[in-house]
Amino acid sequence: MNKVIGICNLHNEPHLGEITKNRPLGSVTFLGRYGIIDFTLSNFSNSGIEKVYVLVRKGITALRRHIGSGAIYTRNTKLGHIELLFNEKGFTNKAFNTDVNNLRQSLDLDEVDFECAVIAPTYMLSSIDYRPIIEAHIASGAQITTVYKHVEDADKEYLRCDKYKFNAAGNVSKVSKNIGRASEADVSLDTFIINKRTLKKLLNEAPKISQFFSLQDVINFFIEENMMDVHGYQFDGFVVPILSLDNYVTHSLDLLNYHVRNRLFIEDWPIYTTTHSTPPALYGKDADVKNSFISNGAVIKGKVHNCIISREVVIEKGAEVKNSIIFTKTVVGRDVKLDHVLSDKGVTIVNIKKLTGTDDDFVVISQGAKI
Amino acid sequence: MPSKNKVVAMILAGGKGTRLESLTKKTAKPAVSFAAKYRIIDFPLSNCANSGINVVGVLLQYESTILDSYIGNGEKWGLNGVHCLMSTLAPKQTEEGANWYKGTADAITQNIDFLDNADPEYVVILSGDHIYKTSYTEMIELHEKSGADVTISVIEVDPSEASRFGIMVCDEDDNIINFQEKPKNPISNLASMGVYVFSWKALRNYLKKDAKDEDSDHDFGKNIIPNMLKDKKKLKAYRFKGYWRDVGTLASLHEANMDIALDKGELNLYDHDNSTRIYTEDVYCVPQYVGKKGSVTRSIANQGAIILGNIDSCVVSSGAMIETDAKLTRCVVMEGATIKRGAKVHNAIIAPNSVIDEGSEINLGNDKVVLIDNAKK
Repeated sequence: MNKVIGICNLHNEPHLGEITKNRPLGSVTFLGRYGIIDFTLSNFSNSGIEKVYVLVRKGITALRRHIGSGAIYTRNTKLGHIELLFNEKGFTNKAFNTDVNNLRQSLDLDEVDFECAVIAPTYMLSSIDYRPIIEAHIASGAQITTVYKHVEDADKEYLRCDKYKFNAAGNVSKVSKNIGRASEADVSLDTFIINKRTLKKLLNEAPKISQFFSLQDVINFFIEENMMDVHGYQFDGFVVPILSLDNYVTHSLDLLNYHVRNRLFIEDWPIYTTTHSTPPALYGKDADVKNSFISNGAVIKGKVHNCIISREVVIEKGAEVKNSIIFTKTVVGRDVKLDHVLSDKGVTIVNIKKLTGTDDDFVVISQGAKI
Repeated sequence: MPSKNKVVAMILAGGKGTRLESLTKKTAKPAVSFAAKYRIIDFPLSNCANSGINVVGVLLQYESTILDSYIGNGEKWGLNGVHCLMSTLAPKQTEEGANWYKGTADAITQNIDFLDNADPEYVVILSGDHIYKTSYTEMIELHEKSGADVTISVIEVDPSEASRFGIMVCDEDDNIINFQEKPKNPISNLASMGVYVFSWKALRNYLKKDAKDEDSDHDFGKNIIPNMLKDKKKLKAYRFKGYWRDVGTLASLHEANMDIALDKGELNLYDHDNSTRIYTEDVYCVPQYVGKKGSVTRSIANQGAIILGNIDSCVVSSGAMIETDAKLTRCVVMEGATIKRGAKVHNAIIAPNSVIDEGSEINLGNDKVVLIDNAKK
């Protein structure tokens, strides 16, 4: 295979309110077991991409904690690596903290031996094999390939994402924002295959256009100005977009459905994640669990219906938790009743006995809060 | 200079474990799975790691391949750091010829070079098939302070059970003054756990002597310890308090699994104390899921288990699938096993990748534990 590097771009992650206040979306827990970033990093690994760079905008500590040495995603740990890149200058001036500036500051592309880079975000969860896309990219002779998906629910999903129109040659002719007006659209998955020379050019040109431009802004600018052909690759696989808190909650709970789950987790495509040496989940004699994900280290003594329960969560006797997502090390005390609640890490709920949200309005509890 | 490794642990993991029947047909006993997530050897290895013992040799012999690759470089237990050494030691060919390990002591004798290279003050001898959580630090400190040649970990057993063990007779200061191997008429209830702390110099001498003795079984319990007693060496007993099980039979393996599923609290895996965690391999699998019609009570289940049926008092490993309307009670379901729709099973160990057919009824109402092993190899 051609020399390919992977760049996981965390700069343009959407804000999910409380749960991304202290951490990048990439390190937000997912299905009680993963970090959101596990999908992209596993996709790189499974696609044989060994040299991986993670462009970090904020919360490097949380991310470092999750990724560790990166060995869990890496095949040969001498040949491969995961490097976290962050722009120290950008940390003091947020407006300049762009992926372009990060790459310019942190990585000398001339020192890296590669022919093309796969640049992918964290928030488009999928089991995606980049190899056929890279092949198609090379066959097309294009400098940039953008990966898109044809969807029929653009009026509800992929809001504020780029959507494309193509010319007869299959190159992008027009980029606009999906504002949800039409249901059918070719939406960008914000995933690009870029030749080395082109990437260098984009990084050089970007500051001349705008210091605030992201890589995607520059690409879109080049498309609009007819300065570069950007080829489209249609991805037909299943994608779970996490663009808002509502997306996060709804799509997480959707995955309780076996048929949905089997589209995200496909055979022979493992999603790697960091290990915490937690014991198996323990169920007490009065445990009443239905339609739920239960993570290791959880102790379940009460009722849990339609929930996602993360590592080392304790559900005490008499507690009833329904339609909720409970993050790591949260304790739901005796006789506490939760419905449509999202609890961040390390929350203790003992003194308020009832919390009820709705489908559209989850009760969100901040990290470490005592309720 | 960083402090040198004063203690080396040697784990005996070469036995065949015939009483576990087909579970050990292709796997050494220490590699048999336990408590939904672990393999038996995770317990002594994690105990070593948590005791700060960084040099560990594992003696292999019977069906060593799976166990050897499982142990790898010791990374799973953190034993791959600086000044750590994790080594699997199988019998090898030497100038004197090729020899199988003839006994527990012979296994160490044949690896004297390994120990000489590590140059420890103390050698901890452990068994690869015991379930317990401990730090060996206190025992090593006792050994060091008392100036003993060997300290033996002992546990109080029920007098009716004493004849199954090696029994230690102690004076009021816990000096061992006599030893009975599986006695008909035990005169003490202190059973040896097969956990020894030796001063390396003393052990080395006795191993050399034992190697020359043609009548010896080259066994710690039968030869080395009695010889040391005979020579009036200082033998100290360390009284172990807590949960300890030898899981050498199907019944004892099943019972130890049930102890955890039923949360009897004797072997607490849920204490959130990082210094006594049991470490193991993490398998890549989807999250554990309990279905809309499923029910799970008094059980433990690992990530990757899919439970659509009903289980009570069970242990379910990753990759196991319990289909709708299946009903399991007191079962140990090992990795990758499938229980088809409507099947009912009681008091069983279901071996890895076995399949229980739809609607079948197995061992219902029976107190005796059965092993179900029908995986296509």
